[in-house]
Amino acid sequence: MLAELINPYYLQVLSFILINIILGISIYITLSTGQLSLGHAGFMGIGAYTSAIVTINYDLPLIVGILLGAIVAGLTGILIGLPTLRLQGVYLAIATLGFGEVVRVLFINWEGMTQGAVGISSIPHIGRELVTGLRDTGFTADMIGIRSNQLISVLVFLILLVVTILLISFFVRQHRSRVGRAFAAIKMDESAAEAMGINITYYKVLAFAQGALVAGFAGALYAHITAYISPSDFSYHRAVEILIFAVFGGSEVIAGPIFGAIFLTSMPELLRDVSEYRYMIYGVILVAMMAFRPQGLIDYNMIHKLKRLRKKKDQKTIDEKESKRHDIGS
Amino acid sequence: MILEVKEITKKFGGIQALTDVSFRVNQGEVFGLIGPNGAGKTTMFNIITSMFPPTTGEVVFIKKRLTGKKPYQITKEGVCRTFQNIRLFPDMTVLENVTVGQHCRTSSGVWSGVLKLKSQRMEEESIKRKARDLLRLVGLEELEDSFADNLAYGQQRRLEIARALASDPKLLLLDEPAAGMNEKETNDLFELIQKIKKLNMTILLIEHDMPLVMKVCDRMAVLNFGKKIAQGTPEEIRNNPAVIEAYLGREEEDELA
Ligand SMILES: Nc1ncnc2c1ncn2[C@@H]1O[C@H](COP(=O)(O)OP(=O)(O)OP(=O)(O)O)[C@@H](O)[C@H]1O
Ligand SMILES: [Mg+2]
Repeated sequence: MLAELINPYYLQVLSFILINIILGISIYITLSTGQLSLGHAGFMGIGAYTSAIVTINYDLPLIVGILLGAIVAGLTGILIGLPTLRLQGVYLAIATLGFGEVVRVLFINWEGMTQGAVGISSIPHIGRELVTGLRDTGFTADMIGIRSNQLISVLVFLILLVVTILLISFFVRQHRSRVGRAFAAIKMDESAAEAMGINITYYKVLAFAQGALVAGFAGALYAHITAYISPSDFSYHRAVEILIFAVFGGSEVIAGPIFGAIFLTSMPELLRDVSEYRYMIYGVILVAMMAFRPQGLIDYNMIHKLKRLRKKKDQKTIDEKESKRHDIGS
Repeated sequence: MILEVKEITKKFGGIQALTDVSFRVNQGEVFGLIGPNGAGKTTMFNIITSMFPPTTGEVVFIKKRLTGKKPYQITKEGVCRTFQNIRLFPDMTVLENVTVGQHCRTSSGVWSGVLKLKSQRMEEESIKRKARDLLRLVGLEELEDSFADNLAYGQQRRLEIARALASDPKLLLLDEPAAGMNEKETNDLFELIQKIKKLNMTILLIEHDMPLVMKVCDRMAVLNFGKKIAQGTPEEIRNNPAVIEAYLGREEEDELA
């Protein structure tokens, strides 16, 4: 029964959606201080390569490799974020685009470490490692009536799901805190924010590093799910794709890039015929969004209205209870 | 004495916006900074708050040199301002705008915010309470959930004052708070300034509304073409020939034009 329900292919698509959601979150964080980065494919690549290399060459456990990948990407984020602080808007976009290209060329040319344009294969796979681990404890796939490759896909999906939910709640909470308000103030008016006592250098570098860290984390997960990476995975196209999640879904609230990632990743899968034209569609979306809804599909206003509706509903139920009490009283 | 402005000169390329301007503000007073359009008043505010550095001269606040510090450090020292061309955070609610003003007096970081530690929750509570108190002070308590952008002009000006007060300043700089206000709003503003003064705060006020300035200021300095041409009590300023000349001279120019 279970065995027929679990389709590894669909689970893989879902896993890629989750990875893309994490990438969407990474660009959202950077954008939440008003910094436009096209370097996130580079940070993603740094996370992927770091984790792949340390797990293969030094036999480090996967979890250590993945965390190390994220940290190295985050530190690179600080290094890039500091000197580019003064750059605004399109100048920052161009500088980070340059950074992404430098990283990609480095992956191609540092052959001793990265195996050049060929890429790195047989990277330890999260699912397979876990199934092997489980087997040692005596648990196998046929115990619950499914095949081993089904168990692998299920495990990968579940891990990514948990990680994504944790990340989302982390950043939702951060957004509602003092740090999140500082980010928002900087995005809306940098010099007013500074005049109100916010250390903009600190918060802008923090946001840049957090974005880089999360992108690196997504990259490391990606490496251990596909088991194969090459420099072309982290090219300019990827950078634009990540940005489009936020441009399409919206970057004002975290729901925006999440929706963008879900919609744009599932669209080519649902409509097989259009997947060839993927990048063309991205281009059209970019132009259309800039012309008609530059803040993206989901914006503050929409969230605010939803909240108000809920408040009104709550108020209504309170009123109803009140009137009932009065009825009883009279 | 709380603020000492020492021989400030500011050049923008060829324009000399301020020339050798000095004045001192005493603890607890309302000090007016007046002068015709383009006299250099806002430029003086920008130099006190380090939005840009002076060409020469320095600003000292309670024995500490402000010149060379960053704007956010100056706010932390206890000097906060409003802007002539209102600069609220437009997509934040009224309440959120005031909470941002408390940034430098609070300390929760990433982890305490994400883990919602007890200290952080208590801090958030007190931030909200204080923000509401300030909104009540400026008379905006009923609008706390509106977007700042949607407020009327006079309300936005009052919100800017509340946001600045949220940083617990010892010295409050107000740049034309009455601009665009009708008579009733200006009267409310007068009362608000009186209330703020009672909170043991010193105020440096730029304002074109002369009746308001004369009523509310203890002392004032007059700038014209970047130079200080007079200083004294409202009574002294009213009768100062150089001041009359500066204002009348402008009006005649306007009439000729
Ligand atoms: N950032 C700047 N760059 C170049 N020139 C400037 C700058 N800021 C102000 N100025 C010039 O300095 C002079 C003084 O301007 P300032 O804004 O200080 O006048 P003000 O006294 O505040 O006038 P108003 O009453 O109209 O607000 C003006 O000639 C103005 O054009
Ligand atoms: Mg001015």
